[in-house]
Amino acid sequence: MQHFALEQALNYLIQTGEIDLKPLDNKTIRFSLQDLPLDVNFVCTNDRIFVISDTNRNSDVDISLGASVFFALFKGEDLTDLLRQDKIVIHGDVKTAQLLVDLLQTVDIDLEEVLSQYTGDIVAHKAGKIAKNFKKIAQKSSNPLDAIKDGLSALLITPTVSKLYKKDRH
Amino acid sequence: MNNTTHFGFKDVATEDKQNLVKGVFDSVASKYDLMNDVLSFGAHRLWKRYTIASSNVKIGDKVLDIAGGTGDLAISFRKKVGESGHVILSDINAAMLGEGRKNLINKGVFGVDFVQLNAQCLPFADNSFDCVSIAFGLRNVTDKDQALSEMYRILKPGGCLLILEFSKTDSEFLKKFYDFYSFNVMPTLGEIIADDKESYQYLAESIRKHPDQETLKDMVLNAGFGFCEYHNLSGGIVALHKGIKV
Repeated sequence: MQHFALEQALNYLIQTGEIDLKPLDNKTIRFSLQDLPLDVNFVCTNDRIFVISDTNRNSDVDISLGASVFFALFKGEDLTDLLRQDKIVIHGDVKTAQLLVDLLQTVDIDLEEVLSQYTGDIVAHKAGKIAKNFKKIAQKSSNPLDAIKDGLSALLITPTVSKLYKKDRH
Repeated sequence: MNNTTHFGFKDVATEDKQNLVKGVFDSVASKYDLMNDVLSFGAHRLWKRYTIASSNVKIGDKVLDIAGGTGDLAISFRKKVGESGHVILSDINAAMLGEGRKNLINKGVFGVDFVQLNAQCLPFADNSFDCVSIAFGLRNVTDKDQALSEMYRILKPGGCLLILEFSKTDSEFLKKFYDFYSFNVMPTLGEIIADDKESYQYLAESIRKHPDQETLKDMVLNAGFGFCEYHNLSGGIVALHKGIKV
């Protein structure tokens, strides 16, 4: 669900031309949170981004960091500073990592929500925040009704991500 | 390929399955949408809406909807791809395709092409689609691995496969309720509304014979897709598998 919201927001920005994906074309970047069982893979291809948690494939860049650093990064903290402080470990091309971070920092989405299922927030709180995210997308959308319907549908049928998303990874 | 395959809980000759499935859909075509609404309490519309939203389809894309039946997905895809895009609604069954054509005309949706085809041998060039979808159709395909390979072949690199299909729930309570509902209520409703008990008995049986979420995920990866992830909907009664060709 959270990945779904993030993916929707990113692809909306690509479609409206607010972000340019070309520099990241055909790159896969993996974020691994050291203190939470969460991997998020950003697959950039065919001029769109897929946000996927479940993959055994190698990525072009692996970014390993703590949850608090994850928040700091998306609140505008400088990637280079965090690297200097050894708060982030990057395997792969740092420039590609920087491009993705720049891109994610432009997304007006509550990243706390992306982690809330792993940090134990209550369901109502989650639902409220997800609804808020969709409201933001809807306000920007050329067809707000469709965006709200999409969000509402997603809430009603309660999609849940693959349970075995870390299968065969370690 | 084995000489026999399943048709619901029955073992039948592989070459017979296609005609048996055809018989089911010839019989239910005219009442298909009504029965879907009644049997799923309208939830099939939400499952399909989630599928469309997950597709990341955009203006100018080329989309193939396989086993598209009455055209629910094709209508939504048509809106997403705009005038510069291209949507093909396909089905192996002429009666279902006819219902789809009627439905789209009634809803004022034009610019969708209709193709009668078998998912196991898709009549399209390699690397030609941005998205291929199949909703509640894969379980009726005789050779699913062959069909998945074909879907992989016609997708562009970076293209997305969406499989919306009945699946397995982990919840014991839901499982008991669902078993009772599908083997008792569904065939009875089929008899009352569509005058066809057997087709809805087959529906319930074919769902049980369909691969579970993890098995289908492995099948998608084995077909060549670089990534595959599934999301359970309504407790796993339905799952959306999303494969990405890299």
